[in-house]
Amino acid sequence: MLVTNSPFCLPSPVAEMGDAKAQQSERPKAVQVEIHPEPFSPWQRLESCCDGFAASAVFIGRVRPESAQGAHLDALELTHYPGMCERRIDEDAERLRQLHGAGAVLVLHRVGRLSPGEVIVLVVVQADRRGPAQRCCNELIEALKHDAPFWKREWCGDQGAWLSGNTPL
Amino acid sequence: MEARLQAVMPHDDSGSVRVLLFAALRDQAGWEEKRMPLAVDGPQTALQLWMALELGALPAAVRVAVNQQLVDPDQQLHAGDELAFLPPFTGG
Repeated sequence: MLVTNSPFCLPSPVAEMGDAKAQQSERPKAVQVEIHPEPFSPWQRLESCCDGFAASAVFIGRVRPESAQGAHLDALELTHYPGMCERRIDEDAERLRQLHGAGAVLVLHRVGRLSPGEVIVLVVVQADRRGPAQRCCNELIEALKHDAPFWKREWCGDQGAWLSGNTPL
Repeated sequence: MEARLQAVMPHDDSGSVRVLLFAALRDQAGWEEKRMPLAVDGPQTALQLWMALELGALPAAVRVAVNQQLVDPDQQLHAGDELAFLPPFTGG
Protein backbone atom coordinates (compact mmCIF):
# COMPACT_ATOMS: atom_id res chain seq x y z
CA MET A 1 0.00 0.00 0.00
CA LEU A 2 1.46 3.32 -1.04
CA VAL A 3 0.65 6.00 1.49
CA THR A 4 2.20 8.96 -0.19
CA ASN A 5 2.12 9.75 -3.86
CA SER A 6 5.50 11.37 -3.80
CA PRO A 7 8.67 10.26 -5.54
CA PHE A 8 11.30 9.06 -3.10
CA CYS A 9 14.09 11.04 -4.66
CA LEU A 10 13.84 14.79 -4.91
CA PRO A 11 16.06 16.80 -7.20
CA SER A 12 17.29 19.00 -4.35
CA PRO A 13 18.99 17.58 -1.25
CA VAL A 14 18.53 20.81 0.68
CA ALA A 15 15.96 20.83 3.47
CA GLU A 16 13.23 23.35 2.99
CA MET A 17 13.80 26.71 4.63
CA GLY A 18 12.01 30.03 4.54
CA ASP A 19 8.44 30.04 3.37
CA ALA A 20 7.80 26.41 4.25
CA LYS A 21 4.06 26.59 3.82
CA ALA A 22 4.32 27.91 0.33
CA GLN A 23 6.89 25.30 -0.62
CA GLN A 24 4.89 22.46 0.91
CA SER A 25 1.92 23.37 -1.19
CA GLU A 26 4.03 23.11 -4.33
CA ARG A 27 6.35 20.22 -3.41
CA PRO A 28 5.20 16.68 -2.56
CA LYS A 29 6.24 15.10 0.72
CA ALA A 30 9.57 13.33 0.60
CA VAL A 31 8.37 10.31 2.57
CA GLN A 32 7.34 7.01 1.02
CA VAL A 33 5.87 4.20 3.10
CA GLU A 34 4.88 0.81 1.72
CA ILE A 35 3.55 -2.17 3.66
CA HIS A 36 2.74 -5.28 1.66
CA PRO A 37 2.97 -9.09 1.70
CA GLU A 38 5.14 -9.45 -1.40
CA PRO A 39 8.86 -10.21 -1.01
CA PHE A 40 11.17 -7.48 -2.25
CA SER A 41 14.86 -7.09 -3.00
CA PRO A 42 16.37 -4.28 -0.95
CA TRP A 43 19.24 -4.08 -3.42
CA GLN A 44 16.94 -3.42 -6.36
CA ARG A 45 15.13 -0.74 -4.41
CA LEU A 46 18.41 0.87 -3.39
CA GLU A 47 19.57 0.98 -7.00
CA SER A 48 16.45 2.80 -8.04
CA CYS A 49 16.13 5.22 -5.17
CA CYS A 50 19.52 6.46 -4.09
CA ASP A 51 20.61 9.23 -6.37
CA GLY A 52 20.43 12.95 -6.05
CA PHE A 53 21.74 12.97 -2.48
CA ALA A 54 25.30 12.82 -1.18
CA ALA A 55 24.54 10.62 1.85
CA SER A 56 22.33 7.58 2.31
CA ALA A 57 21.76 5.67 5.57
CA VAL A 58 20.29 2.20 5.16
CA PHE A 59 18.82 -0.32 7.56
CA ILE A 60 17.78 -3.80 6.47
CA GLY A 61 16.08 -6.09 8.96
CA ARG A 62 15.75 -9.83 8.34
CA VAL A 63 14.02 -12.75 10.02
CA ARG A 64 16.27 -14.52 12.52
CA PRO A 65 16.76 -18.29 12.28
CA GLU A 66 15.89 -18.76 15.96
CA SER A 67 12.87 -17.89 18.05
CA ALA A 68 13.06 -15.62 21.08
CA GLN A 69 13.45 -18.80 23.14
CA GLY A 70 16.35 -20.04 21.01
CA ALA A 71 14.42 -22.73 19.14
CA HIS A 72 14.69 -23.35 15.41
CA LEU A 73 12.27 -20.94 13.74
CA ASP A 74 10.20 -22.14 10.81
CA ALA A 75 8.46 -18.87 10.03
CA LEU A 76 7.67 -15.42 11.32
CA GLU A 77 4.15 -14.09 10.86
CA LEU A 78 3.68 -10.34 10.71
CA THR A 79 0.35 -8.57 10.96
CA HIS A 80 -0.49 -4.89 11.13
CA TYR A 81 -3.36 -2.49 11.57
CA PRO A 82 -3.93 -1.33 7.99
CA GLY A 83 -4.29 2.42 7.67
CA MET A 84 -3.21 3.32 11.19
CA CYS A 85 0.14 1.61 10.72
CA GLU A 86 1.01 3.39 7.48
CA ARG A 87 -0.17 6.72 8.89
CA ARG A 88 1.91 6.47 12.06
CA ILE A 89 5.06 5.54 10.14
CA ASP A 90 4.42 8.34 7.69
CA GLU A 91 3.97 10.85 10.52
CA ASP A 92 7.08 9.65 12.36
CA ALA A 93 9.15 9.69 9.18
CA GLU A 94 8.10 13.19 8.24
CA ARG A 95 8.64 14.49 11.80
CA LEU A 96 12.13 12.98 11.97
CA ARG A 97 12.98 14.04 8.43
CA GLN A 98 12.26 17.64 9.34
CA LEU A 99 13.89 17.38 12.78
CA HIS A 100 17.18 16.17 11.31
CA GLY A 101 17.05 18.09 8.05
CA ALA A 102 17.08 14.95 5.94
CA GLY A 103 15.90 14.99 2.35
CA ALA A 104 13.97 11.81 1.65
CA VAL A 105 12.79 8.74 3.52
CA LEU A 106 11.74 5.33 2.26
CA VAL A 107 10.20 2.64 4.46
CA LEU A 108 9.30 -0.78 3.04
CA HIS A 109 7.82 -3.33 5.44
CA ARG A 110 6.61 -6.87 4.86
CA VAL A 111 3.56 -8.47 6.40
CA GLY A 112 2.41 -12.06 6.16
CA ARG A 113 4.37 -15.26 6.70
CA LEU A 114 8.13 -14.91 6.26
CA SER A 115 10.93 -17.48 6.33
CA PRO A 116 14.22 -17.06 8.19
CA GLY A 117 16.57 -14.81 6.26
CA GLU A 118 13.82 -12.96 4.42
CA VAL A 119 13.86 -9.17 4.54
CA ILE A 120 11.28 -7.72 6.92
CA VAL A 121 12.04 -4.04 6.63
CA LEU A 122 14.09 -1.62 4.58
CA VAL A 123 14.64 1.95 5.78
CA VAL A 124 16.55 4.41 3.66
CA VAL A 125 17.19 8.02 4.62
CA GLN A 126 18.88 10.38 2.24
CA ALA A 127 20.42 13.72 3.07
CA ASP A 128 23.21 16.03 2.02
CA ARG A 129 25.41 14.86 4.93
CA ARG A 130 25.98 11.61 6.85
CA GLY A 131 24.91 13.05 10.21
CA PRO A 132 21.30 13.88 9.33
CA ALA A 133 20.96 10.66 7.33
CA GLN A 134 22.30 8.40 10.09
CA ARG A 135 20.50 10.11 12.97
CA CYS A 136 17.19 10.16 11.16
CA CYS A 137 17.55 6.53 10.10
CA ASN A 138 18.40 5.34 13.63
CA GLU A 139 15.51 7.19 15.24
CA LEU A 140 13.08 6.10 12.59
CA ILE A 141 13.92 2.43 13.13
CA GLU A 142 13.23 2.83 16.84
CA ALA A 143 9.99 4.63 16.08
CA LEU A 144 9.00 1.70 13.84
CA LYS A 145 9.65 -0.67 16.71
CA HIS A 146 7.65 1.21 19.30
CA ASP A 147 5.04 3.37 17.54
CA ALA A 148 3.80 1.33 14.59
CA PRO A 149 1.04 -1.25 15.16
CA PHE A 150 2.82 -4.38 13.92
CA TRP A 151 2.69 -7.75 15.65
CA LYS A 152 4.96 -10.76 15.23
CA ARG A 153 4.14 -14.41 15.78
CA GLU A 154 6.89 -17.02 15.77
CA TRP A 155 6.13 -20.42 14.30
CA CYS A 156 8.12 -23.45 15.45
CA GLY A 157 6.57 -26.51 13.86
CA ASP A 158 2.82 -26.12 14.21
CA GLN A 159 3.13 -24.01 17.35
CA GLY A 160 2.70 -20.26 17.04
CA ALA A 161 3.55 -17.78 19.78
CA TRP A 162 2.89 -14.04 19.69
CA LEU A 163 5.84 -11.98 20.82
CA SER A 164 5.16 -9.77 23.80
CA GLY A 165 7.94 -7.25 23.28
CA ASN A 166 10.62 -5.96 20.97
CA THR A 167 14.09 -7.34 20.52
CA PRO A 168 16.73 -5.39 22.47
CA LEU A 169 18.62 -2.62 20.72
CA MET B 1 -19.78 21.59 1.59
CA GLU B 2 -22.09 19.39 3.63
CA ALA B 3 -21.05 16.28 1.70
CA ARG B 4 -17.38 17.12 2.17
CA LEU B 5 -17.81 17.52 5.93
CA GLN B 6 -19.61 14.21 6.16
CA ALA B 7 -16.76 12.51 4.33
CA VAL B 8 -14.23 13.41 7.04
CA MET B 9 -16.45 12.90 10.07
CA PRO B 10 -15.95 9.52 11.78
CA HIS B 11 -19.50 9.32 13.06
CA ASP B 12 -22.65 8.10 11.42
CA ASP B 13 -26.10 7.29 12.62
CA SER B 14 -25.82 3.50 12.38
CA GLY B 15 -25.98 3.30 16.17
CA SER B 16 -23.10 0.91 16.49
CA VAL B 17 -19.33 0.75 16.87
CA ARG B 18 -16.97 -1.37 14.78
CA VAL B 19 -14.69 -3.27 17.15
CA LEU B 20 -11.33 -4.67 15.99
CA LEU B 21 -8.99 -7.06 17.79
CA PHE B 22 -5.41 -7.86 16.81
CA ALA B 23 -2.77 -10.53 17.38
CA ALA B 24 -3.14 -12.47 20.63
CA LEU B 25 -6.39 -10.73 21.53
CA ARG B 26 -7.86 -11.95 18.26
CA ASP B 27 -6.87 -15.53 18.99
CA GLN B 28 -8.15 -15.40 22.55
CA ALA B 29 -11.52 -14.00 21.54
CA GLY B 30 -11.92 -16.16 18.44
CA TRP B 31 -12.98 -13.23 16.31
CA GLU B 32 -11.32 -10.20 14.73
CA GLU B 33 -14.15 -7.81 14.05
CA LYS B 34 -17.69 -7.27 15.22
CA ARG B 35 -20.27 -4.53 15.51
CA MET B 36 -21.48 -3.55 18.94
CA PRO B 37 -24.56 -1.42 19.50
CA LEU B 38 -24.30 1.86 21.37
CA ALA B 39 -27.45 2.06 23.44
CA VAL B 40 -28.32 4.87 25.85
CA ASP B 41 -28.28 2.41 28.72
CA GLY B 42 -25.26 0.45 27.38
CA PRO B 43 -21.49 0.98 27.12
CA GLN B 44 -20.49 4.56 26.37
CA THR B 45 -16.69 4.41 26.64
CA ALA B 46 -14.01 2.18 25.17
CA LEU B 47 -13.39 0.51 28.51
CA GLN B 48 -17.09 -0.08 29.14
CA LEU B 49 -17.45 -1.61 25.70
CA TRP B 50 -14.46 -3.88 26.34
CA MET B 51 -16.16 -5.14 29.49
CA ALA B 52 -19.32 -5.79 27.49
CA LEU B 53 -17.28 -8.09 25.22
CA GLU B 54 -16.78 -10.39 28.22
CA LEU B 55 -13.10 -11.00 27.51
CA GLY B 56 -11.95 -10.43 31.08
CA ALA B 57 -10.22 -7.36 32.47
CA LEU B 58 -8.55 -5.11 29.93
CA PRO B 59 -4.83 -6.01 30.11
CA ALA B 60 -2.72 -3.05 31.25
CA ALA B 61 -0.43 -3.35 28.22
CA VAL B 62 -3.29 -3.18 25.72
CA ARG B 63 -3.73 0.21 24.08
CA VAL B 64 -6.95 1.60 22.71
CA ALA B 65 -7.48 3.37 19.40
CA VAL B 66 -10.61 5.13 18.26
CA ASN B 67 -10.76 5.97 14.58
CA GLN B 68 -7.09 4.90 14.36
CA GLN B 69 -5.91 7.39 17.00
CA LEU B 70 -4.55 6.20 20.35
CA VAL B 71 -6.86 7.32 23.14
CA ASP B 72 -7.48 6.83 26.84
CA PRO B 73 -9.70 3.82 27.65
CA ASP B 74 -12.23 6.25 29.09
CA GLN B 75 -12.67 7.84 25.68
CA GLN B 76 -16.33 8.49 24.92
CA LEU B 77 -17.60 6.55 21.93
CA HIS B 78 -19.90 7.70 19.16
CA ALA B 79 -21.94 5.77 16.67
CA GLY B 80 -19.85 4.86 13.65
CA ASP B 81 -16.55 4.90 15.52
CA GLU B 82 -13.87 2.28 14.79
CA LEU B 83 -12.62 0.97 18.12
CA ALA B 84 -9.47 -1.15 18.21
CA PHE B 85 -7.76 -2.94 21.08
CA LEU B 86 -4.02 -3.19 20.43
CA PRO B 87 -1.56 -5.53 22.16
CA PRO B 88 2.00 -4.19 22.60
CA PHE B 89 3.59 -3.45 19.24
CA THR B 90 6.36 -5.87 18.26
CA GLY B 91 7.18 -5.00 14.68
CA GLY B 92 9.93 -3.30 12.79
